[in-house]
Order: sequence, then structure tokens, then C-alpha cells
Amino acid sequence: MTLAMLPIDRVRAFPPRMTEFTERFWRNLSTGRFETTRCENCDRFSFPPKPFCPHCWSRQVAWAPLSGRGKLYSQTVVHAAPSAFRDEIPYRVGIVDLDEGLRVATRVLADREPMLETSVEIVVLNYRDGPLFAARSVG
Amino acid sequence: MTANVAILGAAVLPVAKWQRPLDAELQILEHESLAKIVIEAVADSGIDKSEISSLAFAQPRPYTQQRYFATFIANYLRLPCTGAVQEVLGNGMTAALAFEAAANEIRLGRSRVALALGINWESAIPAVEHMMSSMRATGDVDFHAPYGFTPISWYAMDAARYIHEFKSSREELASVSVKNRRHASLNPIAQFRKPITLEEVLSQKPIVEPLGLYEVPPRGDGAACIVLVDEQIARASGKPYVRVRGRGFFHEGAHQISEVPNDMIALVSAQKAGEAAYAEAGVTASDIDLAELYAPCTIIEILASEALRLVPRGQGARLCAEGVTSLGGRMPICTSGGLQSRGHPAHVTPFYSFFEVYEQLTGRAGARQVANARLAVTSAELGNYNAAMVHVLEGVQ
Repeated sequence: MTLAMLPIDRVRAFPPRMTEFTERFWRNLSTGRFETTRCENCDRFSFPPKPFCPHCWSRQVAWAPLSGRGKLYSQTVVHAAPSAFRDEIPYRVGIVDLDEGLRVATRVLADREPMLETSVEIVVLNYRDGPLFAARSVG
Repeated sequence: MTANVAILGAAVLPVAKWQRPLDAELQILEHESLAKIVIEAVADSGIDKSEISSLAFAQPRPYTQQRYFATFIANYLRLPCTGAVQEVLGNGMTAALAFEAAANEIRLGRSRVALALGINWESAIPAVEHMMSSMRATGDVDFHAPYGFTPISWYAMDAARYIHEFKSSREELASVSVKNRRHASLNPIAQFRKPITLEEVLSQKPIVEPLGLYEVPPRGDGAACIVLVDEQIARASGKPYVRVRGRGFFHEGAHQISEVPNDMIALVSAQKAGEAAYAEAGVTASDIDLAELYAPCTIIEILASEALRLVPRGQGARLCAEGVTSLGGRMPICTSGGLQSRGHPAHVTPFYSFFEVYEQLTGRAGARQVANARLAVTSAELGNYNAAMVHVLEGVQ
């Protein structure tokens, strides 16, 4: 399943660092593929992706696709921001529980305050210098 | 045999914006301000300087120019020590960990008198710059910070969730600010002392929705020193003192959010640390006379008071609005004025909680005095209460 992709005509305010391990996550995200690691020993997903399983510490992990679907657990609008984000205020962030049983924190795209527990999808924000992701209401 | 630990003296600097602009010709510097407080605290205890043998400091903010601050102060105050001299860091819990480090020297029999002390100077650093650092502390630098989460944005999401789950309201949450300001108006060391109304709280500019300016902590500077002693020394002194009766700690193994979805606003760390502290003290929440909680935002006071079972789950905000947690109410919470009004010099904030409890349990709290107060609970936390340190303290007159 491929995520919707939105071009953003500026660079990321505070870009994530990449490692040899997480490079795959960010490269694939930029083409609309959302994935993470899953343990081959205990079958549990992990996020952010890790080269081991945080639950059983097995190093036998494999990349697995995520549906990019979930529910909005909570959200807020930030009005007082660190200097790197001063051009973006106010902006909305939130916590999303993905269908795979993972909780992530990200930007939320919504003009009006969304209801909590509303169904959301993950979308790709393709900035000039690389990707981030965000959540928006489905439909 | 493990010694019992007692607080026999304490002093704090009023919370204020003490730090001068970095280019000001005349500075107010950390070592001079802290030394004054140390001498005051030790005089309060009646202990002779030569009996002090351990120093546990809250690590200063990175803005403090003097590094190796602990050994610098050991020199500045001429304090040779046979126990330990150390600086402790643990995010918002820093001062509670320093308190524990000092207490442990006594429990282990290595010291009979230990100081827990520190200073937090930061107010000359603009908030937008300070947040460039703090956002890297309260979130994953690569998977949270790029989205612009600030430390209190996590608490704001707790607030949104609480309102959603328990059909509470911003008005109920904001009543915490009104109550805490009323308490602070009676506290000479509080940063903000002019009483405020609910309407004033609600009309402030938004900071992290639904929370406005008066529902989040102000920035400020502070310094504190707590004199901890073997209880035998406290008893022999003939002075009122405070016994450390129980202690509990729990870290949930998560940083801001759990990647496995959980009930984020249950504050499981506060629940478990509280249970451990109550058990060690041999008390239950219903025995507690007052609570001084680490709660940067209004919602966190509500959630922590529920997690520590001081008020029933889901009813904390309503009960605050009804006055139950006010001075004179059934369960007074944050009689100092709390972090919104007493102030929040973060690395030393838990010292101020111990100071308030020391004043209350030794009957020195003046107009804030909780009548017949004997047992108090304190909490400290880090992240989004991902970890909690809880103490039960008892006044001995």
C-alpha cells in the first residue's frame, strides 16, 4: 500500500538524522512506502524501526509494511515553538495509534480541531530536502 | 542497620528571574546565590559545618558557565567531604534524585549529615532558544523533534485526552491555576503572588491548546539547600523535623509515548511509585494530609493526584474546581502555589517541593499552614510522567 504524497516547497525545520539502518525507512517513505521492523521471534512490531526487538531483544528482525491507517489518540496546537519552527506556528501535532498496534507521534493536517478517536491515514510530506510524515482524517 | 533519614533544615531562594542578560556588566552569579542559601539552611538545622560529609547537587543548566559546579562549591564553601560530592541529572526529576543521593549516603552509614542542593539559572536564555534544547530532551530527536513537539505539548495532549475521556472541560482544568495562585499569594518565595480569576486564566493567549499562558509553567531561576541527617541527630536536636518515611520509583520504559498503545493519562509510573512509597511508609493515600506534586501544567496536577489516589480517577478536575484540593479543603494540593505560580526552576523544582513540605510539617507555613499536618506526599517526574519518584514524609514535633 502506498501513501498519499504531498510536496512541501521548503526544507525541513529540524531534519532527522539517518543511519545506515534507518536510511531505508526514510528513503522508502519518500516514495510513499511506510514500513518498520517486526520481530521474527515474537512477531511484535516496533517503532521507530530498530535493528533488534525491544521486547525480546532478538536481533532477528525484518522490515514489514505498515497500513498507514489508525486512530487519533490525542492532539494539540503548538503556539509557542522552538526557534527552528517559528515560521510554522501555529501548527497541529498529535498521537496516532496505528492499526498494527503501534503508537506514533506526528504532525496532524486539519483545519479544524479533529475529534479524538477519528480514523486517520498517514501521508508523506515531501520537503525539498527529504520526507517527513503526517496524519490526516480519512475521507 | 539502615539509618532513617530526616530533614533538619532547609532554605530556598525566592523563585524569580534572577539571571541577568549575558552581556550585562554586573551579573548575579550562581555560586554567590547558592552559597547564601547553603549557609542559611545549615544555620536553620543547627548543625555545625564540620559535620557535613556529603554533597549531592542537582546539575545546573548548561547555561551555567562554571562547570564541575559541585567541586567548585566544595571549595567556595570550604567543605571537605568523606562521603561523596556529586552532581546528579535526571531531567525534571533531577533534584529528587539528588535528594535520594544525599539520603543514600546516610542510609548506607557513610555520612550522618548530607546536603541536597543546587541552582537553576536559565531565565536570560530566550524561551525559543531554550526550547531548541528542551525539545531534544522530551522526545526522540529523529522521530519526534522534526515535528516540533515541545515539552509541554505532551501535557497538552494529556489534557485533550482527559477532557475527551472524562467529559471534563478546560474550565475545570483552569481552576487548578486559580487555586495555585491563591496558594502562592500566601507564599513569600513564590514567583507570582497576585490572585487571578478563572476568567483571566481562560483569556490568556494559547500556548499549547487547550492550555494558555497561566496554565503552563513560567520560566524562572531558583536555588535550594536541604539538610539531611541521620534521624538520631534530628531527635537529639530537640527541634521539629521531617522524617523520610517512604520512597518509591518507577520508570515505565517509555520516552514520552509508549510505542505499545497504553492508557497515557493513567500515569502508571506515578501509580506504581506511589504504591511503593505508601507501602514502605505503611500508610494509605487516605492518611495523607497534603501533597506537593511536580506538575508543570494544570492537567498534570490532576493526573498525578488521581494516580497517587488522592482523588478518584476522572474526578480530579471537578474536585479541584469544587475546592477539595484547596487550602482548607479535604486534600490540599500544592500549597506552595505549584509550578504555575510558586515557579519552576526545573532542575531544582523538587527541592522546592521538599521545602514546602518541610515548612508545613514543622508548622512554619504561616498563612498557608495546613492544620495538624503530619503526613505529606511529594512527587517528581520526567518526560510525560514516564518516570516518577514519590516520597512520603512525616513531621515529628
